Amino acid sequence: MKRASVILAIAALLLVAPVLQGFSQVHVASAQDPIKLVFWNYWDGTNGEKIQELVDRYNEEHPEVEIENVFVGWGELLPKLQLAVAGGDAPDLAAADMVWMPALANSGALVPLNAFIEASGTDTSDFYPALLSVNTYDDQIYGLPVSTNNLELFINTDLFEAAGLDASAPPATWDELAAAAAQCADPDSGVVGMELYTQPGEGLTWQFQVYLWGAGGDFLSEDLTQAAFNSEAGLQALNFWLSLIDSGAYTLSDWGLFGQGQACMVLDGSWMVGGMAESAPFNWTTAAMPAPADGQPATNMGGEHAFIMAQDEAKQQAAWDFINWLTSTDVQIEWDEATAFMPVRDSVATNEAYMSWINENEPRLLPFVDMQQYAHNRPPVEQYSELSDVFSAMIERALYGQMDPQEALDAAEAAVNSLLS
Amino acid sequence: MTAMARVRAGWQHANRRGDVSAAAMALAPAVILFAIFNIYPLLYSGYLSVMEWDGFSPDKSYVGLDNYRALVESATFRNALGVTLQYTLSVAVLGVAASLVIAVLLNSGVCGQNIYRLVYFLPVVTSTVAAAVVWRYLMTPGTGYADVLLRDLGITPPNPTWLRNPTWALRIVMLVGIWKRIGFNIVIYLAGLQNIPKEFYEAATVDGAGTWARFRHITIPLISPITLLLVIMSIIDSFLIFDVVYVMTDGGPIGTTEVVGLLLYREAFRYFNLGTASAMGWVIFAIVFAVTMVQWKFFGAREASL
Repeated sequence: MKRASVILAIAALLLVAPVLQGFSQVHVASAQDPIKLVFWNYWDGTNGEKIQELVDRYNEEHPEVEIENVFVGWGELLPKLQLAVAGGDAPDLAAADMVWMPALANSGALVPLNAFIEASGTDTSDFYPALLSVNTYDDQIYGLPVSTNNLELFINTDLFEAAGLDASAPPATWDELAAAAAQCADPDSGVVGMELYTQPGEGLTWQFQVYLWGAGGDFLSEDLTQAAFNSEAGLQALNFWLSLIDSGAYTLSDWGLFGQGQACMVLDGSWMVGGMAESAPFNWTTAAMPAPADGQPATNMGGEHAFIMAQDEAKQQAAWDFINWLTSTDVQIEWDEATAFMPVRDSVATNEAYMSWINENEPRLLPFVDMQQYAHNRPPVEQYSELSDVFSAMIERALYGQMDPQEALDAAEAAVNSLLS
Repeated sequence: MTAMARVRAGWQHANRRGDVSAAAMALAPAVILFAIFNIYPLLYSGYLSVMEWDGFSPDKSYVGLDNYRALVESATFRNALGVTLQYTLSVAVLGVAASLVIAVLLNSGVCGQNIYRLVYFLPVVTSTVAAAVVWRYLMTPGTGYADVLLRDLGITPPNPTWLRNPTWALRIVMLVGIWKRIGFNIVIYLAGLQNIPKEFYEAATVDGAGTWARFRHITIPLISPITLLLVIMSIIDSFLIFDVVYVMTDGGPIGTTEVVGLLLYREAFRYFNLGTASAMGWVIFAIVFAVTMVQWKFFGAREASL
């Protein structure tokens, strides 16, 4: 029996050993050791390959740091970040969706960058103000934009031709868009004319905002304290979606029809251009997203912003040096050419080499570059994710005919205002 | 020797001098891990449920029962509870009933019993997320196999189609839930059925009882402890449904598949309301606990009277 107890004790110890080992791994850094940084981001595919290549090159050129590039999926990044912060195991720096920046900046987990920016003499006025504004909280900058994108019209030229439409003269107004969509739709084979994002959540909201802005409306009031979408423009946008459903130009279905060759047109992001150029089994082109005849051109911008979470000051400095390098004009041009992201700085957008590269290699990116000047950003409020969900839930009810359009906008306004109060 | 007597004898044997400490040692790792990974989080979430916390910042503020009050007043939460209840009851009742029927059929000496067992059991060991992705694909209009097959059989999909349809989405999710569990239920039932002495059926047959009468008066009563176990397990598991819904419908359309698990996930990891999310967790816990207790009492009393 004695022996059994000893064996058991050893077994128990073996079980607990890895945990104890974790505690004892307090590493004493010596002077020669490079500073190790962990960098989280969700870039995958071509973008993932490019960021890995850039990190590798940076590591090679800077032997004093060693950055580990870690991919974390878009859906997991925020929850994982939250758990890591709670567990005291946060990455040193990360790049994440611009929509999350207000919540992240407000969390106290990010390091303000103002002192670093000043010390390294970085000219932040070269970044587009709309992009920078989501990182600014209490006059402190908490992140820098690394990439951006916007939404424009994609056209399946095969389906267009089959329906007797000419993709080289794309629709220029909502009326033309609706007419082309109705003509191109083919319910028998499940082809829709214009694909809409109708599942609740940010997908719906950020598409709908393009229509809302196009009609001259706004999502929140200028001071970000209340809803502004319950307006004539909001009603016009919602009625336009409903008219697409009523005319058979769109049938409620899961997002993704365009990629399957089952939609003539779709409003989608510049990030689709690279992948589709490689693998779409049909011919396609792009055009600027139309607005109503009396409206204004508009699109929605997305993108990733880099920020620092490191506690240690040497690590903060090293992380800043990398971010400063990654967002510099030269690296940005290389990044944008490889990934088809839109420029985050004016000096990239006005760079002749970059523009002639686009003209030669992928002119289908031109509508996106041209329209970036009309890109709005989603309101930088902390509660944005929840706002977006409750808003889209009400719009969905209108699309399903459960509420009439005005009723849905009223309900969405009430829900959004109660979240903002 | 009955099972109880055997345990008692084993205990008396173990109780001899110092062996209790060996038993304690053997149990310690499991108990410690259970305490760290189950008990502690449970208590901590109880603490969080009376706080307001965004999950990041070091300061949490005490809000008393506000989080619970907000839940009671929230129409979204009530809807989610309703949907979860509907899902749970359907999966528990239909899933257990169907698996009993299949188990009895399998037990009646169908040839290739093992192959059937494998076929029914495969979903149990399949990753739920992977299975849900496949099911979602199967139901895709125009290209999904299930959708195409149904069209070939002359069943035109409703408009909007399956997973975007307010009446169909939850039914399909339930079907996947039942499909996922049924193999487990069948295996447990088969074990139970094989424990029913053949003589009972032989005697009943001699007395002139038909197939239905034998099933009704021998199989069902003798198998009822297993039924109780399976129903309780189904209810507990189904009440915590999250992954299937998250992958297949994300709660849509118009909230018809929005279960509490999904709402909890959103509150915690999308809106950063850890307090509200913890309160939801405790409401679920309380409901599951109460339901289990009631079932235990009800079935337990019935079993004692048998």
